[in-house]
Amino acid sequence: MKQSINIRQVGILLIMTIFANKILLMPSLLFSEVKADGIFVVAVLFLLEILTLPVFIILKEHYPNESLYEILSKKIGIILTKIIYILLIVFFFLKVLLVFSVTYVYFKQQIYKDEMIWIALISFLPVINHAVISGIRPLSRTMEIFFAVVLVGFIACLSFSLFTRINIPYMFLSTPKSFFDSIYRHFFAFGDIFFLFLIMDRIEIKKGQSKTLYKYAIIGMILVLILYFLYYSKYQVTSFMHNNALADILVFSVQFNAIGRLDIIAMITIMMITLFQMEIFSYAFSDCFMKIFPKLNTVYSVIVFDIIFCLIYYVFIGKYEIMIKTTLEYFPFLAIIINIVLPIVFLIFALLKRRENEKTD
Amino acid sequence: MSYFNISKEIEDIKKTLNNCVDFSSRIFIREKQQIGMIFLKSMIDQQLLSNAIFMPLQTFDGKFDFDLLQSNIIKCADVKTIKKEEMILNILEGKVILITNFSRKILSIDLLKFPTRTPSEPPTSPVLQGPREGFVEDLQTNITLLRRRIKSEKLVMEVVRVGSQTQTKVCISYIKGIASQKVIEKVKDKLSKIKIDGVVDSYNILSFLEERPNSLFKQIGNQEKPDVVVAKMLEGKVALIVDNSPIILTIPFLFMEDLQNSNDYYTNHHYSSMVRIIRLLGLLLAIIAPGFYLSLQIYHYNILPLNFLVTIADTTQGLPFTPFLEILFIFLLFQILYEVSLRLPSYLGLATSVVGALILGDTGVKAGLISPPGVIIVALSKIALYTIPEQSAQITVLQLVFLFIGGSLGLVGLTSGAIYIINYLNTLDSFGTPYLAPYAPRISSDLKDGLIVKSIQRMNSRPKSFNPEKKERS
Repeated sequence: MKQSINIRQVGILLIMTIFANKILLMPSLLFSEVKADGIFVVAVLFLLEILTLPVFIILKEHYPNESLYEILSKKIGIILTKIIYILLIVFFFLKVLLVFSVTYVYFKQQIYKDEMIWIALISFLPVINHAVISGIRPLSRTMEIFFAVVLVGFIACLSFSLFTRINIPYMFLSTPKSFFDSIYRHFFAFGDIFFLFLIMDRIEIKKGQSKTLYKYAIIGMILVLILYFLYYSKYQVTSFMHNNALADILVFSVQFNAIGRLDIIAMITIMMITLFQMEIFSYAFSDCFMKIFPKLNTVYSVIVFDIIFCLIYYVFIGKYEIMIKTTLEYFPFLAIIINIVLPIVFLIFALLKRRENEKTD
Repeated sequence: MSYFNISKEIEDIKKTLNNCVDFSSRIFIREKQQIGMIFLKSMIDQQLLSNAIFMPLQTFDGKFDFDLLQSNIIKCADVKTIKKEEMILNILEGKVILITNFSRKILSIDLLKFPTRTPSEPPTSPVLQGPREGFVEDLQTNITLLRRRIKSEKLVMEVVRVGSQTQTKVCISYIKGIASQKVIEKVKDKLSKIKIDGVVDSYNILSFLEERPNSLFKQIGNQEKPDVVVAKMLEGKVALIVDNSPIILTIPFLFMEDLQNSNDYYTNHHYSSMVRIIRLLGLLLAIIAPGFYLSLQIYHYNILPLNFLVTIADTTQGLPFTPFLEILFIFLLFQILYEVSLRLPSYLGLATSVVGALILGDTGVKAGLISPPGVIIVALSKIALYTIPEQSAQITVLQLVFLFIGGSLGLVGLTSGAIYIINYLNTLDSFGTPYLAPYAPRISSDLKDGLIVKSIQRMNSRPKSFNPEKKERS
């Protein structure tokens, strides 16, 4: 029996994916490219990202019980569908790798001073594997439980940062070329909404509920934009030096010395957000894997994921900068295919289906 | 025409029952008519036997007739005819069997009597306000306790037998039209599939009913108070009353139920809400405190406020153990003391407390083997554990698991561990009810009896989590 999830759970999944890898390293990376105009880069990318949402809703309306794989197989044939799913596997695997690297580096700097990759691997992999094996329903229910904690933690980080003096950052300093280059380069960190297409047959959307999805998506995006604004306001020209935006905005706030280190709030929030993102992306990896190899079950997909993940980490150990740079340099095209081209194709499918239905009526 | 050879039948039954010492029989003869009585004298009310059967038979003047015997002569309320193959079971259940040489029919007369306890306040569920009655070991008394509270023709009590040797009666109790039919069917199905030689307590059938019997977490509710069981049945649950057990099982079960207490409904609902939140905090404190303290001490000392850090540094300086071994040592010490105090006679309990808490604890600190913060943290978590006594066994295991995680992986490990546990709990399902409902999935209408308790007037619908047949309480 298919496990299905309700609209609230989908909304929470959406927020978690929207936070994704945008809250730690990305603000400083963007600042080094386009200064405080990074906020606009993020806003544009969000705009592109949220356009996927109506496509998803239209497709879901016309194919309420079918999976993406079934739709694609019917429309473009199994071989092309499998090629698309291979691309998706690579995309989601790189997403996990990116989130893991950024989180690992953050915790290494903050807590575990020595090279302790095994701590990160032991802490993350079993939890991710278990979540993937359990299925989408327990995964989304778990996020439902922790959602309030994550949201309160995130908002607390933003609020506590206001206890120190901030100035509005200088904007509009970047050139159009660097601005658009930046949009292209960071495309990979966006477009996580695509995950919804993969689980569309397991989502229950009743009539009139689609508004809820926009509500959650917009809340997530606004919170991320506020974070960028506060971060650039706080650090101004030295923003490129701080690699952990959500945690670093708490440093030097007035409350800091009064009640001890406030960044524990950020640590726990980041920990939860990143773990949930990795669970979502790993689930997507596993889902695609099983579509390509239908005879293998989830356990095999988890084993394959773990082996590749550990091997890559073993090769790149201590070279996370190279890993992040490589991903940002060479994979935006993949993100564009997945987040722009594929949704356009899906929209065409949905419109064709609508015409078909109208003819039948 | 003779239907039963009374002497032979009695001899056969005696052999079947292995000539047991409490076997008793008597043949009543009048002219050519014979009536044989078979019973176990340890199981019946002998005074009643004399008054309800012997005396009427002796004083009856006329020819015996089976129907007359059943309806007029025997002065007992519970008289019924049974089949020959049911005879042994009826005798073992404390019934008197009457066989005659003038009818093929067999009479079974219920004269069961054995020592029972009177309903009293259960030691595990004391209350400040509200009813103090508790269930006892006798099935009939327990059924009476429920019936007294639900005077409705819709109250169903169906009995099935479980255990090839003990033939224990298990009464499936529910309110027709309220409890989910699917759940009832599933319970019956599971009970019919139980293959066990004996059921000595309701716990024996627990794991047969659970969806995941190997899980650490309990998936079936257990109650000792009739008022609580009735409240749960009114919510749409099914109760299982097992003969010889004062523990009643309730199905389905939610994790949230262990945060609830009967006291919550007999006091101001604002206060109840506060108490429930404290119980949840107690639960979290009990599970995470030792591991969290360890992770702070080993990995994250830099996030502690300076004064606190200095205090810990002062008290832990010169300890022969590593922080992890120190906490583990104190933890095991507490656990040993707990086990000892459970099994020792009460007059030795005080001595154990003095030796354990004062001598071992105090001397341990003075000797520099353990640190005062370590003792405080473990003691705090052990006390907090009893905010939810029903889950104390599970919490103790989790304490140890999180102790290891906190000591080896730090805060990152603790957060991952917490997410892992919640994810695991979300995979659990009790007869179609999500284990963490009404929070995951969120069921807004059921939240009124969640952490925040609403007034009784506002609880006008039954929890959707249990899929009751009738949603409204009216």
